[in-house]
Amino acid sequence: MIRNKLGKVFFLLIVVGLLQLLPLNTAQAVPSFARQTGMQCNECHTIFPELTPFGRIFKLGGYVLSKSGKPYEFPPPLAGMAQITYTDAKGLTSGVAPFDSTNRATDRINLPQQLSLFYGGRIYDNVGAFVQGTYDGVSNKVFLDITDIRYSNNTIVGDKNLIYGLTLNNSPTAQDVWNSTPAWRLPSASSGVASTPAAGTIIDGALDQQVGGIGAYVFWNNLIYLEGTVYRTARNGITQPLGAGTTTDQVVDGAVPYWRLALEQRWKNHFFTIGTYGMQADIFPAGNTSGPTDRFTDIAFDAQYQFMGTIEPEQMQEHTQMDNEHKAKAGKHIITAHATWIHEDQDWKASFLAGNTANHSDFLNTFRMNLNYYYRSHMGDIGGSAGYFSTTGKTDPLLYSSNPGDGSRTGSPNSNGFILEADYLPWEQTKISLQYIIYNKFNGAHSNYDGFGRNASDNNTLYALAWFMF
Amino acid sequence: MKKILMCTAVSIFIGITPFQAKGDAGNENDKGKTLYTDKCQFCHGMRGDGKGPAAEPLLGHPVDFTDSKFWQGNAEVKIEDTIKQGKEMMPAFDLTPADIKAIIEYLSHTFKKATQNNDRGRDEK
Repeated sequence: MIRNKLGKVFFLLIVVGLLQLLPLNTAQAVPSFARQTGMQCNECHTIFPELTPFGRIFKLGGYVLSKSGKPYEFPPPLAGMAQITYTDAKGLTSGVAPFDSTNRATDRINLPQQLSLFYGGRIYDNVGAFVQGTYDGVSNKVFLDITDIRYSNNTIVGDKNLIYGLTLNNSPTAQDVWNSTPAWRLPSASSGVASTPAAGTIIDGALDQQVGGIGAYVFWNNLIYLEGTVYRTARNGITQPLGAGTTTDQVVDGAVPYWRLALEQRWKNHFFTIGTYGMQADIFPAGNTSGPTDRFTDIAFDAQYQFMGTIEPEQMQEHTQMDNEHKAKAGKHIITAHATWIHEDQDWKASFLAGNTANHSDFLNTFRMNLNYYYRSHMGDIGGSAGYFSTTGKTDPLLYSSNPGDGSRTGSPNSNGFILEADYLPWEQTKISLQYIIYNKFNGAHSNYDGFGRNASDNNTLYALAWFMF
Repeated sequence: MKKILMCTAVSIFIGITPFQAKGDAGNENDKGKTLYTDKCQFCHGMRGDGKGPAAEPLLGHPVDFTDSKFWQGNAEVKIEDTIKQGKEMMPAFDLTPADIKAIIEYLSHTFKKATQNNDRGRDEK
């Protein structure tokens, strides 16, 4: 039995290793994008998946920028990803998921945590896509992960450039190009088996792959970004394929409007963004697909600062004198800071009547901020990030009830803590990360938060990740 | 009703492409324009002034085809070499010699001519 498990583990490691050796050029992030454009990955990413200013424009341009003379890509822009992880936190088991069928959800080693296949690039002409199919080693399931299919074009309005487009996607904020919003926030990967706080806003990932929506966006003068998207449930109907493989436990009723406004301004190599985003969703209480609904209204603000490094002396020369070895890319020191604040009003029109909440209405406030620094050295890219997170809200003993491990003794949703992460990319297709999450407060308290003697610090998590792209 | 609206939206989303797709160009200039729009405009701009939507975030600056200085010397060879080999952030493009010729033709007809007209206008003033 053990030999059989070890055999599978080694087989997987060999497959991942061999895929790394494939001569698919130096691309990473989603390598098919780099193969399509002929550009280096770090022109679109600081460290994947965080986007540079050019990466944001590439995405808004519909993923269609291509060096090919044809209106389509051949071979198709496919890419792969494997994440192998180790998590250390109190209460985890020593098996290897997914091979350990009994304790898979609590196994320290996840081999893999995720395996993904991407279609990343142009479909035809001005239509492109980022489509991710994922095998999750913790849940042992295959599902359609983040999907964003776009049409984009550009013109001139008011003597300034205007990028305009449509997006068809399955996760609110997945279409966004700033890493301050939830879908692409940092840290970009986290443990699949560690405990996380009970309370979270709807826009903060609760509807990922459970809705499908179509939206329109404009980005004028590299200054103003405006988007409106309407979602509906992926449980049935025309949007059902966008939720393939995901159990829809948050069934939204009717249309869910999502909005986004952002202002970006460049000053030399510094890029500043401030914005707002939000949505309003009517959701059936758990287990229901008809009848009364609860209403969630999320209004969020975000900001991002990005320093793309000092241009090297040779890059200061006139571009006509530069050769291909001295490309005008970012400097060696990259700094990014993100912050977001999300306020959610929860109107328990259905759940209160059903006796599932103690209050008619509640609210949540989530705040996150982080600062990243990356250095592009001859030995690879190295850097790290430090972040703070906090969720506060109204006490509701029925909504946040006492339960061993994941409950709340106080009925409070309040949690906060810090995230530290170190990253090293020895070569472009591989990212090695070491992450530590420190909880100061968890589900309402610092100590004995669940009423069964567990402290917030018992959820502190050490997470090691080897992330391969091919 | 909702289904009809959703179907309409998706149909527009999918159907918009063929209408936008650039068909076979009738002449070299049209072909060049199509290729320029598809391959170059995002950085070099609709007006060829190097101020396309992707120019702003670049740390280098795309070439300005409306600058008469650019056309001094053997600009056509310069363009051909750059398309074939890439330069700075601009990648090398997999275009056929005929495609490259069409782009050069379009650039010359549209932007080079404009610079000459501008220069002439300036001289007359």
